Amino acid sequence: MNLTDMRTFADDEIVDAVVVGTGAGGAPLLAALAARGLRVVALEAGDNTDPHDHTPDEIAAADDINWMDERLSGGETPTAFGPNNSGRGVGGSTLHWGAFAPRPSAHDLRLRSESGLGEDWPIDHDELVAYIERVERFAGVSGPSHYPWDPDRRYLFPPVARNASSDMMMRGCEALGIRATDAPAALVTRDHDHDHGGHRSACANCGTCHQGCRNGSKVSMDTTYLPQAVAHGAEIRAGSMVHGIERDASGAVTAVVYRRDGVDHRQRCTNLFLCAGGIETPRLLLHTGVGNSSGQVGRNFMAHGGVQVWGRFEQEMRGYRGYPSSIITEDFVRPADADFAGGYLIQSLGVMPLTLATTLVRGAGLWGRELVDAMDDYRFMAGVGINGECLPSDGNLLELSDEVDDDGIPKARISFSAGGNEDAIDRHAIRTLTSIVEAAGATSTMVLPRTAHTLGTARMGTDRERAVIDPDGRSFDVPNLWICDNSVFPSSLVANPALTTMALSLRTADRFLASHKP
Amino acid sequence: MSSSPSSRTTAFALHALGSSARAFDGVAEAVADVLDVHAIDLPGFGDAAGMTGTSIPESVRHVERAIRRSGATRWILIGHSMGGKIASVVAARALAGESELFGLAGVVLLAASPPSPEPMEEERRRDMLSWAADGRLDADAARTFVDANVGARLHPDADALALDDVQRTSAAAWTAWLEDGSREDLTDAVGTLDLPALILAGGEDGDLGEDAQRRLNGSVYPRASVEALGGTGHLLPLERPLDVAHAVRDFWESTAGIGPAVPADVAAVIASPRTSARTRGLLARRAVADDPHATPAALTDVQLATLRVLADRIVPQDGAGIDIALRVDAQLAAGGGDGWRNADLPPDREAYATALDALAPLRTHSPREIDAVITRLAAGEYDEHDALSAAQFAAWFEDARVDLVRQWLAHPATMARIGFDGFANGGDDVFTGFAILGADEREDWEMLPVIAR
Repeated sequence: MNLTDMRTFADDEIVDAVVVGTGAGGAPLLAALAARGLRVVALEAGDNTDPHDHTPDEIAAADDINWMDERLSGGETPTAFGPNNSGRGVGGSTLHWGAFAPRPSAHDLRLRSESGLGEDWPIDHDELVAYIERVERFAGVSGPSHYPWDPDRRYLFPPVARNASSDMMMRGCEALGIRATDAPAALVTRDHDHDHGGHRSACANCGTCHQGCRNGSKVSMDTTYLPQAVAHGAEIRAGSMVHGIERDASGAVTAVVYRRDGVDHRQRCTNLFLCAGGIETPRLLLHTGVGNSSGQVGRNFMAHGGVQVWGRFEQEMRGYRGYPSSIITEDFVRPADADFAGGYLIQSLGVMPLTLATTLVRGAGLWGRELVDAMDDYRFMAGVGINGECLPSDGNLLELSDEVDDDGIPKARISFSAGGNEDAIDRHAIRTLTSIVEAAGATSTMVLPRTAHTLGTARMGTDRERAVIDPDGRSFDVPNLWICDNSVFPSSLVANPALTTMALSLRTADRFLASHKP
Repeated sequence: MSSSPSSRTTAFALHALGSSARAFDGVAEAVADVLDVHAIDLPGFGDAAGMTGTSIPESVRHVERAIRRSGATRWILIGHSMGGKIASVVAARALAGESELFGLAGVVLLAASPPSPEPMEEERRRDMLSWAADGRLDADAARTFVDANVGARLHPDADALALDDVQRTSAAAWTAWLEDGSREDLTDAVGTLDLPALILAGGEDGDLGEDAQRRLNGSVYPRASVEALGGTGHLLPLERPLDVAHAVRDFWESTAGIGPAVPADVAAVIASPRTSARTRGLLARRAVADDPHATPAALTDVQLATLRVLADRIVPQDGAGIDIALRVDAQLAAGGGDGWRNADLPPDREAYATALDALAPLRTHSPREIDAVITRLAAGEYDEHDALSAAQFAAWFEDARVDLVRQWLAHPATMARIGFDGFANGGDDVFTGFAILGADEREDWEMLPVIAR
């Protein structure tokens, strides 16, 4: 994005807020604070990119916009990082996200009350939805004119074009009596001009959302909230990796220390917002020893279930064309025959070849002629996949390893083992997905297990013994430290996280501003 | 396949100062069984003597137009002397994806002028400029020029041709090269060109002899082999057409031409404005053949050999193969992982080294025996070494399979094979995306091979 004429601040100037991270958690609140006239600086570990420079090439794109610094992944079902779920760059994970933008259901926020398992959110569903609607209106979300599971819902833009995978899923669902429709997609299907973000072109169905949107149609922070923030006087410093937090005798944050081009800088501030994502936020807190009187930092790591079922069809599907996940069903948010807490969403799937091959190896264990044959079938394949509830669990956590990265910070070690509830959801989902793909005419099917998203490592709650931040988003321990990103999720939600994270970001800004005395 | 991957390769030949396309006639005839030589008259020379616009950038565009017009999708460049500097610029732009060309497989330099300023005595430069002060060079000047640039007397036919070409040269082109082109420093613009390259020098050449070639062109082409032709001056294609042809043929067959070809119609899509320059460049660099004599950068020779044996079983390739093991070695050396590793494993390079050392005996095993080991590795049942536990072997082997299959798929020939053309989903000027998304539907530009269903 264009940062050439932005306002800048000196390191020794005491700014009102430093925001660490420019993704879905940091960008909306950065814009909101700047719009209120606060002096704000965002520190982003990654580089600044221009949408035009993104490439559909999966290897180059990962190096551009994914967090490729090494993390250690353990447990019985280690989750994949890098291109699978971790972003980097001005815009954070919204540079590579799939823009699949379902809203969380009211059930999701009352998981514990309704099922006895997991956690409730200390946020009212109506309040959260009001913020979500603000995000949808500002950033631009496309969807169907009639949403079967929420008939009052309206989307600003008509739905994104369907591709062969979409037609396949619609066909399969119809045959089985499953309701399915066009998915809410955080992209504009008509040209759209922002007051401060410039021109965004209608989705061209290029199919490479995960490699970075090249015409601004996808909601990415660098084409939506961040230009608004800069227009209101925020400064964004790219290539700035925060590794220290300085505090005064009372424990309040006074500055952050960050490394840029190999040189350490100290930015003084009166408030700090950590919005670095479900891995980097707890890693920084553990590294600096800040905000962890509860011992909950790094705990309750959650990764959504993301199992996929792929079918081989007689027709050429070539699902890399078009928006990758344009069909949704919410019929399984709380299945009637569930033997588990929570549920799952189903989406149609298009996939790029290297991503599919990686899942064929990691998920299905293929090698040799089987692997080559599967890729030779690539163009005949279409699939469906889920985003499924994951319960917080004591054994699933992020710790600091003994290995240190180039910036002197210990690498994160994440342990994740799917539990009985996750396994039960997977079993149910595999049955459902397989029946859809078969009803749509697949001649053979393949199950590819995977997990996605990094959630819950600095969770929000009402009990300072069991949570890291309070229901406003403020640290229980450090009054001028706020956290807003996927790490604050008390439960995983069935819905994909980014839309909710943006809404939380606006809400956190409001809560902060309400308590802020200039 | 919608076009034959074995369609012939073209060698675009760029001549020296005062020369022309026909200087390559002898070379062309002698390599005709493996390569089509398409020699190009540069602006101001030969049949193009009447053309204005003789600067290096204009000559580069002239060459690029000729390559584009020819429709060639797998090609090499041969550059003699002045033509070598132009060839290096054309090659750099093609590998960067900047020129709407695709398919460059290698570069042959003949006593070539380097991208840096050409070493030339000022007195000689002044003399040569004086010959063109009043217009085209006369017969005496041509005689002097040719005699100064040969190791021994040319064959009478070649001599007559050389003299004629000098006298056909436009004074403007002659002067432009000596005043400007030869002095331009294009080192940064050209950079380092990591592709198969052959550098031939004349053993009796002056400023552009073997030492200069190693110093000035060798640093631009890290993969180049440098050979000197004894008893030869500067006019290699005229002095030693058969030796040059022999070297070019060997270069093509043993170095530049190995590895899979991208089908012609897919190559044309990559070259087209549907593909962005950046993406075209990535694919162009991956399409060049692997160096069969490369020294591994992260692994030892034995470790690389073991990985190659495994790679043949994990990703069996039909016909001309991509050295995916060597590409994984380069990936390891660059430190480029996938953002995570299994917590039970040591860092990637160490895990590869340890596992491959333990598996080194596989190099002499039969495919059936190797497959049996692979089955146990993948299942977490390989517990025959203290170096790693069975679980660690399985975790490493999962990473290795992912690395190998990704390197295979990243090659544009593999993309063509599996019928993937998503790299062409939008260019730099008009972002096209896809207009047709349904099953069994394709757009007019889509060139997909037919696969049995």
